Amino acid sequence: MKKIYWILIGLVLLLTLVLEFMFLADYDSHWWNAIPGFYAIFGFLGCILLVYAATFISKKIVNRDLDYYDN
Amino acid sequence: MTIELLAIPGVLLVLGAALLPLIPEKLRSSVFLIFPVAALAMAAMHQDGYTLTGAIGNYDLILLEVDSLSRVFGLIIAFAAVFGGIYAYHLKDLGQQCAALLYAAGALGVVYAGDLFTLIVYWELMAVSSTWLIWATRTDAARAAGMRYLVYHVLGGGLLFAGIILHVTQTGSLAIESFEQVYSISNILIFLGVGVNAAFIPIHTWLSDAYPKSTITGVIFLNSFTTKSAVYVLIRMFPGWDILIWIGVIMAIYGVMYAVICKDIREILTYHIISQLGFMIAAIGVGTELALNGAAALAVSNILNKSLLFMACGAVLYATGTSKMYHLGGLVKKLPYVLGLYLVASLSISGLPLFTAFVTKPMAVTAIGYSGYDTAMLLLIFVSIGTFLSVGLKLPYYTWFHADSYDKEIKPIPFNMYIGMGFVAVVCMVIGIAPSTLYAFLPYETDFNPYTIYLFVEIMQIAIMTFIGFWMLKHLMKGKLVIALDLDWFYRKASPAAYRMFIKSTDGFFGWAEKVVLNTAVLSTKVFRNPMTWLNPFGNKENDATTYSPGMEVVMSFILVCFLAFSLFYFL
Repeated sequence: MKKIYWILIGLVLLLTLVLEFMFLADYDSHWWNAIPGFYAIFGFLGCILLVYAATFISKKIVNRDLDYYDN
Repeated sequence: MTIELLAIPGVLLVLGAALLPLIPEKLRSSVFLIFPVAALAMAAMHQDGYTLTGAIGNYDLILLEVDSLSRVFGLIIAFAAVFGGIYAYHLKDLGQQCAALLYAAGALGVVYAGDLFTLIVYWELMAVSSTWLIWATRTDAARAAGMRYLVYHVLGGGLLFAGIILHVTQTGSLAIESFEQVYSISNILIFLGVGVNAAFIPIHTWLSDAYPKSTITGVIFLNSFTTKSAVYVLIRMFPGWDILIWIGVIMAIYGVMYAVICKDIREILTYHIISQLGFMIAAIGVGTELALNGAAALAVSNILNKSLLFMACGAVLYATGTSKMYHLGGLVKKLPYVLGLYLVASLSISGLPLFTAFVTKPMAVTAIGYSGYDTAMLLLIFVSIGTFLSVGLKLPYYTWFHADSYDKEIKPIPFNMYIGMGFVAVVCMVIGIAPSTLYAFLPYETDFNPYTIYLFVEIMQIAIMTFIGFWMLKHLMKGKLVIALDLDWFYRKASPAAYRMFIKSTDGFFGWAEKVVLNTAVLSTKVFRNPMTWLNPFGNKENDATTYSPGMEVVMSFILVCFLAFSLFYFL
């Protein structure tokens, strides 16, 4: 991917963090709102977890050859 | 009365299915469109509170009942039939066209049904007509999957019907109303019957099994009708049943997990339906006005987004002849418009700002949070990560990018497919930009505003970090030529045993009984062929029966004559 896209993505991320700290500091309807940048952390860790969990499940449990049910 | 019946959108479509075979093939696709458009107009015209009644036996039926909830579902289902018809305009397959019309009729009928009896009739119509859209692929895999699909829906319909009969005998009421959360047998039966169509885990496998094997155009209808009408019925009958929250969360996680695992683009989308249904069902479980609004709004946006996703992937399948990620890749130069339309749908379903799910999904999710189910809410946000990962990143990356170029020839895509897709894409964006266009139709008044800093920050942070995570690990998600087993493994592995138990053993028993009867007959003919052998034990046993006949005849005739003579004497 071109460098410019990464820079754009970085800028948007920065913008969301700025918005979060400028406007949402006192937001506390859920416990996780107390954690700064929670959704960024959650998004990243969640993604990693999902990919590894899916790889594990597919390799160890569910994957079979295409003609598995034919035999 | 007969004319009034035409005011029922479902009846209009059944009429269409009956007339369509009489239309010359050249005009058929155009005529096909007239009926859903008419049904849509009819659905838009009916005001809240409009009802149409009929009677069967002692029961008063409400054939049509319009209120704010049935209105929004009726409109979107009729609309789905319209854009599905545009997408399938090039198709010259009468069977599929009639089945699609009947199927839409069933879904609309369910939505507008005012009593349980009308509901079950349309429910079964949906089951039967939709099966054809799977069989119409005409492959062995589709034939077998269609059969399993039918068995599932016959079972589901049976459960629902049994529940309804029990409910009617107990309460004497045919009315469709929200049930108290009581686990009586009738309630459980109805719940499970609807649950089959709503794809509860573990009775969801018909969906993941059959949809990827259905026809390119048929899946648009399949996606829009069966599950969404089930969501409607759940909103109608089971709002606030808190068991639904956890059923929904499990569905959402389970579906998205498989969407990440699967390597076939249509399978990914199909599993993702289950995940999206989970959001709706969890919201129904909460049952507040905001949550039910959210469930209805999600159903609408899901019909639009997911149909567009299926349309774009259908276009890829149409052009390349395969839906396996293993064979795809690098289509960006060959199918650029399809990619553009796909991205509209995938950004929509992932809930990015300016697209549909951004204005619908937070409604359901925050409603769940407002009611104090923090864990459920957090899990659903986690599922949103998977949505973006599987449908928003993995699928398009391995279909349009990744490899240098797809080297085989591609079949040109009919123009009407583009029109159908473009039409839906515009609607997706209009709703995303101006949510009030959708909110005005929702069952309850709402002042929900999705364009807040909080929701913007939430989704953008999640999307960006998910993208970075995907970019780091994308090599792990590459297409392979495998299938992923699902819970139907248990049913399918059990099928030989079930076959032995219910078919072979019964067959065996009948065969045995038949043999016994035959043997008895053989034995008795042998024994009674020549009564003289045992009437006259001292005679010659080897004698032919004929040898005795004259003697026997004389005796018999004598007895008969005596009998006749005595009876004449007696009666006269």
